[in-house]
Amino acid sequence: MPDLLPAVAEAFARRREPGLALVEDAADVARACRGMADRFASGGTLLAFGSGGPAADAAHVAVEFLHPVIVGKRALPALSLSADPVGLSGTASAADPADAFADSVRLFGRRGDIALGITDDPGSAAIRRAFAAAKELGLLTVALSAGDGGALRADGTIDHLLTTRSTDPQVVKEVHVTTYHVLWELVHVFLEQQEHAA
Amino acid sequence: MSTRSDDTRSDDTRARDTRSHDTRSHDLDALYPFLAPADQVPDDGGPADQVPDDEGPADEALLEQVRRSTAEKAREIVALREQLAGDLAGELAACAEAMASRFAAGGRLYCFGNGGSSTDAQAVATLFCSPGAGGRPLPAIALPNDVAVMTALANDVSFEVVFARQLAAFARPADMAFGLSTSGGSANVLRAFAEARGRGLLTVGLAGYDGGKMRDAGLDHLFVVPSPSVHRIQEAQTTVYDVLWELVQVALAG
Repeated sequence: MPDLLPAVAEAFARRREPGLALVEDAADVARACRGMADRFASGGTLLAFGSGGPAADAAHVAVEFLHPVIVGKRALPALSLSADPVGLSGTASAADPADAFADSVRLFGRRGDIALGITDDPGSAAIRRAFAAAKELGLLTVALSAGDGGALRADGTIDHLLTTRSTDPQVVKEVHVTTYHVLWELVHVFLEQQEHAA
Repeated sequence: MSTRSDDTRSDDTRARDTRSHDTRSHDLDALYPFLAPADQVPDDGGPADQVPDDEGPADEALLEQVRRSTAEKAREIVALREQLAGDLAGELAACAEAMASRFAAGGRLYCFGNGGSSTDAQAVATLFCSPGAGGRPLPAIALPNDVAVMTALANDVSFEVVFARQLAAFARPADMAFGLSTSGGSANVLRAFAEARGRGLLTVGLAGYDGGKMRDAGLDHLFVVPSPSVHRIQEAQTTVYDVLWELVQVALAG
């Protein structure tokens, strides 16, 4: 077998710059937290979705909000649209599988809710259609994506577009995990301030 | 502020359940206020346009505070990864070689964890099975995926046996058990590792803090992320399994 130690060093080094880029994007993350907190405060529900690996992230986001990891934080309503294998395998054999999340958003989304889509591919048809449906219904749209945001940015359907500067899907995922952990934790800063002021 | 991991919350739940029903209801109301018939839930669902984007100087100060906090957390995980790049390098290489040998011998990878860690188990399994262009697909299964088995075992026996029973049914000696627990103390994860060891599987564990009980579980490979934050632990664990997967691919290609 090859000596793997150089590959370890290279793999970790590849993560440094995209990780630090999140520091530069911190103001965008903060604004997304504020927007999400406003929706939660008004009774909105978070709908999370993603395909493939990001489906696991959508489930992670949902449990993060619904069952808080820090004692004393209030639970917030969040639903993963990617968590139903029976429904999704049905959709996969439907006329156009790329309508999967858009159809779910139309079924479950209410004006005032939050749509959070996660993808390392900003050109993903399923994600783009879901955001178009969400925007049309009056949901706040938050995207975790990659590169320059590509088609998602061009579509004009995203209120808060947070992108990771990497082309490596695994590195993108790792920065997304930090991003949604921060979104969860700091949404509460705005909520607590609103409760305090009320 | 006290923290609890995705997998130590059951202790807290048990403590709450010993109280009177009334107290419990009150606690649940506090924890899940949205479950109550709240007057703040909009019947027309239209709060969006009522919220101004800019709420003045106080709002801007809070926004700046949250921006700083975000930047600080982002720097923390970058620093933690740099630390792990040095601390875990040898163990990562050794573990990847052992896993590559098992895959080459026809072994399968069984992944498990609770809560957020169950989604990591799913992420690991899909990464190995569907690696994308240029990658070699390798057989891996996330045990928490099967809702029928999860609920049957939890309802009829106990949640402690869920992953162990699945391994007892599926596992063969060439296989691998891959368990994640931020606390290192999840009873069902530890029980699954005991079952796996008894069957000759290669055992790989990811834990946080000081490794907890997973330190004494006799695992072949244990990766401990020493951070006080459950979130930074999970983020670093994500890197650990992504890098392991990459190294297994390199090892099998070489």
